[in-house]
Amino acid sequence: MTTANVEVRPHEEKKIDILVSGEIDLSNSAAVQDDIFAAITNHLLAVRVDLGGLTYIDSAGLRILFALADRLRLLQTTCEISAPPGSPTRRVIELSGIDSLVHLHV
Amino acid sequence: MLPDMAMVNSSDSAEDRLRRIEAVTDTTLAHLGVEQLLQELLARVREILGTDTATVLLLADGGQHLVATASSGLEESVRQGVRIPVGEGFAGRIAQRRERLVMQEITSTTVRNPILWQKGVHSLAGVPLLAGGELIGVLHVGSMLPRDFTDQDLQLLELAADRVALATRTRQARVERAAAAALQRNLLPARLPRIIGMELASRYVPAEEAGVSGDWYDVFTLPSGWLCVAIGDVVGRGLTAATVMSRMRTATRAYALDSNDPSEVLSKLDSHMRHFEPDAMATIAYGMWEPSLERLHISLAGHLAPVLAAPGDPAAPAELPVDPPIGAGSAPLRRRTSTITVAPGTMVLFYTDGLVERRHRPLEVGLQLICDAMRTDSAEAMCAAVMSKLIDADPTGDDIAVLAIRRQTAEELRRLELEFSAVPDSLSEIRAALRRWLPTVGASDDDIADLLVAVGEASANVVEHAYGPLGGTVELHLAANDREVIATVKDNGSWRPPRGQHRGRGTQLMQHLSDDVRFEHGPDGTSVQIRRHLTGGKFP
Repeated sequence: MTTANVEVRPHEEKKIDILVSGEIDLSNSAAVQDDIFAAITNHLLAVRVDLGGLTYIDSAGLRILFALADRLRLLQTTCEISAPPGSPTRRVIELSGIDSLVHLHV
Repeated sequence: MLPDMAMVNSSDSAEDRLRRIEAVTDTTLAHLGVEQLLQELLARVREILGTDTATVLLLADGGQHLVATASSGLEESVRQGVRIPVGEGFAGRIAQRRERLVMQEITSTTVRNPILWQKGVHSLAGVPLLAGGELIGVLHVGSMLPRDFTDQDLQLLELAADRVALATRTRQARVERAAAAALQRNLLPARLPRIIGMELASRYVPAEEAGVSGDWYDVFTLPSGWLCVAIGDVVGRGLTAATVMSRMRTATRAYALDSNDPSEVLSKLDSHMRHFEPDAMATIAYGMWEPSLERLHISLAGHLAPVLAAPGDPAAPAELPVDPPIGAGSAPLRRRTSTITVAPGTMVLFYTDGLVERRHRPLEVGLQLICDAMRTDSAEAMCAAVMSKLIDADPTGDDIAVLAIRRQTAEELRRLELEFSAVPDSLSEIRAALRRWLPTVGASDDDIADLLVAVGEASANVVEHAYGPLGGTVELHLAANDREVIATVKDNGSWRPPRGQHRGRGTQLMQHLSDDVRFEHGPDGTSVQIRRHLTGGKFP
């Protein structure tokens, strides 16, 4: 079974960090997306998604990030994604071209 | 009085009528359970004695209570699960004294079961049910009209009780034996798990003479990739031993999830058993293979050490310290873990003492026979060889469990064919298989990360697009040489175009993370071939 954990940390006023760990594939991507979206209100100014604890992500997981980027652009909320340089997650994210939509943090 | 008259008239043929009780104990009713069998018998007892009710209460809770088990005329007591403490009320006193008892007129103070006087039973006569001198319950008959039970009635009732007791005991023993065997069978793995890099085979033979005796084995993997192996023997026989074994197996699995140290798992299991199953004792060998399968960490609790055979070396039992059995002693005992290096091609044979212990053969001879039978070619052949070498025509008095595990060589692992059902949950199994297999062909961490995603994407495509609601399978063919890995993901469905937003990145990822991706759509399905060079150096 593929499992992922989504942890939400309010960070400053109107800013939150979303820490995603574990693995994301087709079997749990819908649940992970729900968890991430549920953490976001229209009052937020910035969202940072920290993928440092993620050990596997494929296109099902990338779909979540693209959908999130889309949604946050509509809400005029800043979106930032971080993944450790040199990690498999970082490589997949860089290949996806999402850095044209959101800020990819080191 | 009328009932007495009837009794006198029918007593001439009492023996004939008793034969009818025997008739229902024969093999034509072998399919009946204890309750149904008693139901049949009681209808006949009631008829023979001309009474209105006939009821059997069987001893339960280790002899503390009688429980209404079957009745003709007082079915309510069975449905309501009437329980009578031994020593109290009518049936309770019969059980305590093991003597017949007659009560001409019952009252709410002399009987314990209110259903008796609520239903209007006036007179009662009862006798103990004895099988082999042991009390198993009480049989009583009741009459709605006042009745003097004669000595002749009671003799007849005792004769009937003998037959009822015998039939019940035989049936109980048979049912219990069947339940124990079924429990045991259900708890052993129906199919050993498929572990990449390991070849597994097993044999289990229940004791012939006295029913199952609590031998068990278990093989399972942990989410962390460790492979766990347990084999054990619960002291005792039958349903009790089988039940203890089932609890022990569950507890072992639960503790295995929390620790990578076998002696810690066994220490926890020991405290668990000493607290919850204070009367049980068991031996167990519990081992955990590292995900690389190179090393086996193992702890023995009173159990025989596995026998190892590496290609080209003489076979020998592993030299390991043996700690006390589980449930021995009243305080926690020191337990030790040893580590064994298991080279590719090595056979590891776990077994229970039923394999080696024979009345006519010393243990050393049995152990030597196992060593002589050891081979390193195949786990199935290993099991067959050891069984044929050690088991002769004599009936076995003990269960025999054998589990052979062989570490495959790099050469054998160059090609691998796997099949999964095309459901989202298989994707993590496919990754687990790749994580296990790729290091055996020399893939580096980067190679593994890239191939996990590339093969994962191809598999996810099959899961999502290849089949209708009936589903299907994902086949994964892996091959490696010293330069590259070729992974082929096949299905036998027909793809539909992807739907929804943010799609189409999968193929792009596959292409970026490998050297070459080829799709072949045919009438019988699609295959995706992914080639990826290895950066991790030489083939091991």
